[in-house]
Amino acid sequence: MASDPTPGFEVGPQLESGSTVRAPPVWAFLTGPYALFLVFLLIVPLANVALFSIHRYSPTRVALPELTFDNYRKIADLYYLRLFARTLRLGLITTLICALLGYPLAYWLARTRPRLQAVGLFLLIMPLMVSAVIRVFGWIVILGRKGLVNEALAALGLEPVRLLYTDTAVVIGLVNVFLPFMALPLMVAIERIPSNLEEAAQNLGANWHQMFRRIILPLSLPGLISGSLLVYSISISAFVTPALMGNSRERMAAQQIYDEVLVSFNWPSASSLALTLVLLTLALAFSALYVTRRAGRLERGR
Amino acid sequence: MRGRAPWLILPVVGAVYIGLLAPLAVVVGVSFGPSAAFAFPPTGFTLHWFAEFFASDAYVRSFFRVSLVVGLLAGAIATLFGTAAAVGLVRFRFAGREAIETFFLAPLLVPEILLAAALYLLYARLAVQASIWTLLCGHLVICTPYVVRSVIAGLVGMDPRLEEAAMSLGATRVQAFFKVTRPLLRSSLLSGAIFAFIISFSDINLALFLSGPQSTNLPVHIFSQIQWQGDPTIAAASTLQILIIGLLILIVQRIFRLRLLV
Repeated sequence: MASDPTPGFEVGPQLESGSTVRAPPVWAFLTGPYALFLVFLLIVPLANVALFSIHRYSPTRVALPELTFDNYRKIADLYYLRLFARTLRLGLITTLICALLGYPLAYWLARTRPRLQAVGLFLLIMPLMVSAVIRVFGWIVILGRKGLVNEALAALGLEPVRLLYTDTAVVIGLVNVFLPFMALPLMVAIERIPSNLEEAAQNLGANWHQMFRRIILPLSLPGLISGSLLVYSISISAFVTPALMGNSRERMAAQQIYDEVLVSFNWPSASSLALTLVLLTLALAFSALYVTRRAGRLERGR
Repeated sequence: MRGRAPWLILPVVGAVYIGLLAPLAVVVGVSFGPSAAFAFPPTGFTLHWFAEFFASDAYVRSFFRVSLVVGLLAGAIATLFGTAAAVGLVRFRFAGREAIETFFLAPLLVPEILLAAALYLLYARLAVQASIWTLLCGHLVICTPYVVRSVIAGLVGMDPRLEEAAMSLGATRVQAFFKVTRPLLRSSLLSGAIFAFIISFSDINLALFLSGPQSTNLPVHIFSQIQWQGDPTIAAASTLQILIIGLLILIVQRIFRLRLLV
């Protein structure tokens, strides 16, 4: 082995050059346990799902040892098409609202004093870490038939409105639960924009809106893209929020998967649905990674 | 002088924070109120629902025997796995290093509900009974990436020459790690461990599929109580979780400035 010309990265070159033993290298011992764990509890389960998804369903024996693509063909049925269309539509609306609300929040977090930023981050991340079921429960109390909103309407002498168990409620819940996933990457992206760029633009006569459109928006685009894809991919696979706040007849994809796995035991069908969602999500995530990496390279290359 | 944002920004930011915090405030308020009909604002102050919580076997078991135990184990084991993996990735050069790093963070890209269904179907195929161990294995998949990320961040910010200096003075690689690197990594390790605990402690998506009747964790129990129209004991249980998580996040912020998630 040639001696490494860049000292400082290779730890213990004397061990490296002195070892003639063919034992596995140290890094394999360090990364091995977690890698093996992930193979057994991430790769194998996903492979198992893929396998289930091409087996024929049997009401008595769950899956027959007979290969078929029917489970995927079935997704073209009106029922499943509606299900996916609904899911993607609610995900899109959620993402848009998160972007609209996330920008002001992220801009404020990025440009405010460090002390306020610390408080702001705490108040953003603390709710994010509390179980989604608890935040949804709070919204049920607020929006319910005798909830805060309807009590206030009644006090004003107005008719109560049906808020809970509607699409509006689901979107409110989803935005509430996933907004931090939009605000955080946006904040990081805006922080990287030197604030003297903003000053320069304003000295040259740009008003705030021009400055936002020409400088902040383009330079924070990687943050917007990764935030959007993050919010989109988590909200299309959301279960708790639609299950507790949505209409029980108009559901989202994750609820269908839950029912087919745990209630009707149609595991082949559930597997094909799950895999379709995974592929949609992964394709989105990887394109996001690709776009942001490229954008980062362009930025550094300048 | 700084670019002045339009005055509209502050009210929007205020409204967003109210929206984010309102559900938590309502839950805490309801948990201390006497009304069994979830009245908010509370009409009085009582600890009745907390007494109910501690008197209920199902709540106590889900909180102390399942959520806390699984969370602590997940935090500890994820820290071991994750630290070893991060050290291996940062301190050594080998072919495929970047691919392995992506693989180690991949669980964050897989939607939780689908990972949950996949693990459920695997356990079903292998005829493994649901228990706190099946839940723990699932949680380790989603917790460990946080530790990996946190420790990688800590290691990258640290001068590797410190370890080399220790080794040129006669320390073995292992001694150098435990005497030099580990103390310097303390804050990344701690915040990684705390995040791993929180992720497990507040998880509901995996737990819905992976916990059996004897291993229902607190969020799943709360979920089923909401579905069955339970009383404000739900709010008391939620308040306890909010307090614990709020405290832990405060600690992480003190030691690591909360940059872990980004």
